[in-house]
Amino acid sequence: MSLKYDPKSIQLPERWKSLTPILVALGVILVAVGFAFSLFAGGGAENSSEATMKFFAHSYLANFMFVMSIALGALFFILVQFVARAGWSTSVRRIAELLMQTIPFLAVVFAPIIIMLFANMDSLYEWNRPDRVHSSVIKAKIDVGYLTKEWFTLRAILYFTLWSAMGWWFFKRSREQDESGDIGPSLARQKWAGPCIMIFALSVSFAAFDWVMSIDADWFSTIFGVYIFAAGMMAFFATMILISMSLQRAGKVRELITTEHFHDMGKFMFGFIMFWSYIAFSQLLLYWYGNIPEETNWYLVRLNDGWQYLAYGLIPLHFAIPFLGTISRHVRRHRAGLAFWAVWVLVVHWLDMTFLVMPNAGPFNFMPMVGHFVGGLGMLMVFLAFFLAKASVTPLVPMRDPRLPEALTYANPLL
Amino acid sequence: MSEHKSTKSIESRPPKACGWMAEFTNEHDLLDAARKVRDAGYTKTDAFTPFPVHGIDHALGIKPTILPFIVLCAGLTGLCTALVMQFWMNGVDYKYIISGKPFGITPASIPVSFELTILFSAFTSVFGMLALNGLPKFSNPIFTNPKFDRATNDRFFLYVDSTDKYYNRDSVRELLSSVHPTSLDEVMEDNSSVHMPKAIWLGALLLVLAGLIPAAIVLNMRASDSDLPRWHVFFDMDFQPKKKPQQSTTIFADGRAMRPAVPGTISRGQLEEQDPFYLGHDPLKMSLADYRKAVFVSATDQDPADATKPAEEAKPAAQDAAAAPAASAPVNPPAVVGDGGTAPKYAWVDKLPIEVTEEHMQIGKTKYETYCSSCHGYSGFGDGLVAKRAASLLQDTWTPPTSLHADRVQKQPVGQIFHTISKGQGKMASYASSLSAKERWAVVLYVKALQRSRNANIEDVPVEQRSSLTPSVSGASESTGATVK
Repeated sequence: MSLKYDPKSIQLPERWKSLTPILVALGVILVAVGFAFSLFAGGGAENSSEATMKFFAHSYLANFMFVMSIALGALFFILVQFVARAGWSTSVRRIAELLMQTIPFLAVVFAPIIIMLFANMDSLYEWNRPDRVHSSVIKAKIDVGYLTKEWFTLRAILYFTLWSAMGWWFFKRSREQDESGDIGPSLARQKWAGPCIMIFALSVSFAAFDWVMSIDADWFSTIFGVYIFAAGMMAFFATMILISMSLQRAGKVRELITTEHFHDMGKFMFGFIMFWSYIAFSQLLLYWYGNIPEETNWYLVRLNDGWQYLAYGLIPLHFAIPFLGTISRHVRRHRAGLAFWAVWVLVVHWLDMTFLVMPNAGPFNFMPMVGHFVGGLGMLMVFLAFFLAKASVTPLVPMRDPRLPEALTYANPLL
Repeated sequence: MSEHKSTKSIESRPPKACGWMAEFTNEHDLLDAARKVRDAGYTKTDAFTPFPVHGIDHALGIKPTILPFIVLCAGLTGLCTALVMQFWMNGVDYKYIISGKPFGITPASIPVSFELTILFSAFTSVFGMLALNGLPKFSNPIFTNPKFDRATNDRFFLYVDSTDKYYNRDSVRELLSSVHPTSLDEVMEDNSSVHMPKAIWLGALLLVLAGLIPAAIVLNMRASDSDLPRWHVFFDMDFQPKKKPQQSTTIFADGRAMRPAVPGTISRGQLEEQDPFYLGHDPLKMSLADYRKAVFVSATDQDPADATKPAEEAKPAAQDAAAAPAASAPVNPPAVVGDGGTAPKYAWVDKLPIEVTEEHMQIGKTKYETYCSSCHGYSGFGDGLVAKRAASLLQDTWTPPTSLHADRVQKQPVGQIFHTISKGQGKMASYASSLSAKERWAVVLYVKALQRSRNANIEDVPVEQRSSLTPSVSGASESTGATVK
């Protein structure tokens, strides 16, 4: 079944195609400006070069995780669409596929962290300098060989390889279908999405342990990978909503992405706001109740030195307000309302990543945090540049997917 | 029952028309027809389909339901109920220390609040849905038409009710015939009797009576005696082909079902019952001194000094056991122990069975701070957080934890401290399941170090470091304490 359509309507707006180099340049400049700013304003509480480096390394990781988690959310979204054999999502699926295709580029963004490890720096990961580690717990993790730079690097390469390979394979099948319109690629993807989800779950969990949890290697939380996943999914849906809306404002994919799709993406965003809260609270409750010193240190750092305002602030900002804000279907079906909450969610996702990483760099200090924010904007631009680079040469909707008609006629029940 | 009040005796007159029913063979025709009827302004309409048809609510012009708002309100009510309930119960009405947590609303209240929010919302969704739909509804006039039976199989029906404000019999028929239904029928009122057949009443009565029979049997049995043996429902579970303790058997020559241990062997898990390392005292040494009493001790697991005292004095006796001279302890010696005056105490281990190393000290410190410090305090003065909190709440049932620097604790042999950790004492529970024997000895080592830190003098400091302490001799013991800790 083939639909009549204007090929131009599913292409990226001409003006956007040239944006990639500008955005990359601007992004790199902003990250550098952020670094310079924190250098100028002093990193942590004490104004030493070591503290500044520590602050910047943490800031870089937090901002990296901000965009990385969105890309991982996109990958999971693609996998789960095929596990569930979903029809409704066909018209927005390509946007998620393009977001997922940023993962190999993000490996390059991650490279400085590896380089820092091999430069024998412990600005980010205390365990990288065993001679300066005092904690017997961290020493044990180093001694068994888990937290060593070689093995850490190998694992990071493994994660990126697995994610990129899955993304590449699913994208390739999708593009094949653009040519043939055959159902074969759909069936192949449905067959492999299940095993891929298992690989995804394990690799994301371990990546979260390695990259984020090990900045405080004394502490452990088995739910930590799920936390990052939940936050990433939420931010991914916000990103997908905003990109879809921007494309429609530029006159593209107008008939292909309907209010019903925005309603559904809004539902998912609402659901993952709730799921993030559920996971974040589950983690907190166990440590609060157990009240064992070695388990509470992570929260101790985050509930002192100015970070407590962020920690307590996340409860209304990341849960209560957006939860009540997006609970109504009228909001989710209203473009401006949904756009507002999508932007809100992206901002609180950045705050959440800041909350996860930054307190380990030292007490809260306003001026360097401005640098951190500028760096975050830069990182987001680089991420969007990666997205646009791939989107310039790809149709924005899989027009010959056999399930597209289903997606176009799909309607939410009136309730 | 509710049919009674709305219906008069109507069997005598012909049935009244209730509306029109159009039949279709597929959902597309039904949707088209529904849109037409909606656009004509009719609102008292309904559609019946064998499966859920997407978009039918829109085609019929059904307005969005108010149910979500009702559910939201119910959810918030549930949330508030849970919070108020927990605040009242745990913060006002029945304050009770649980893990030293604060009273009232805590993070631990959130799961209950979540549950009640969900419970209230779920019940409101289900019952609110039923209420808003006017369910349960046992009969509908449309059932009188036998064609309607196919609504659960392969036919789609559109119904326009005569109570609609624009209803006109002829114009509705005209409108519905213009959409080409398979058939178009006027729905007639169900004028069959509204009275339940007598047979149903009789059946219900019989069921109720039959339901009373088991209750009557139980009542009879509760109130009467019987000579008959117990009725075994599961005979082979009540009488299993196995031997119980102290029974006899024909299998073995000595006729005993319980087999004695093979000489020269120790049963699995029994080793720890012999070894001073696991006990803190040496049963062999004790049995050499007085075999009968040692048997009593090992059988009752009671300190012989305690066993000779009346029960109500047991606790202070246990605390004083080490300090008080043995001769003054017995008041009312039980027959088994005989001359309690010379009853042997445990033969306490008086030398640490583990080496005094930095590693053991670290284990002891970690375990002490994890398990002991909450009551005994980090420095061992019995001023841990739990103790402080209990004291501040003036709980009169609370027994304050012992200060480890008390004279009698200072004098206890290491084996006795080990025994206290292993078996518990007074309100203190046993820590044998949390700490291995080696870790318990490490804690003993750390406790000894704590005690020493409060009584150290200048000779305890290595010669080369003494010079750093000389300016303030009174501060010497303090700083030594800090280094040991």
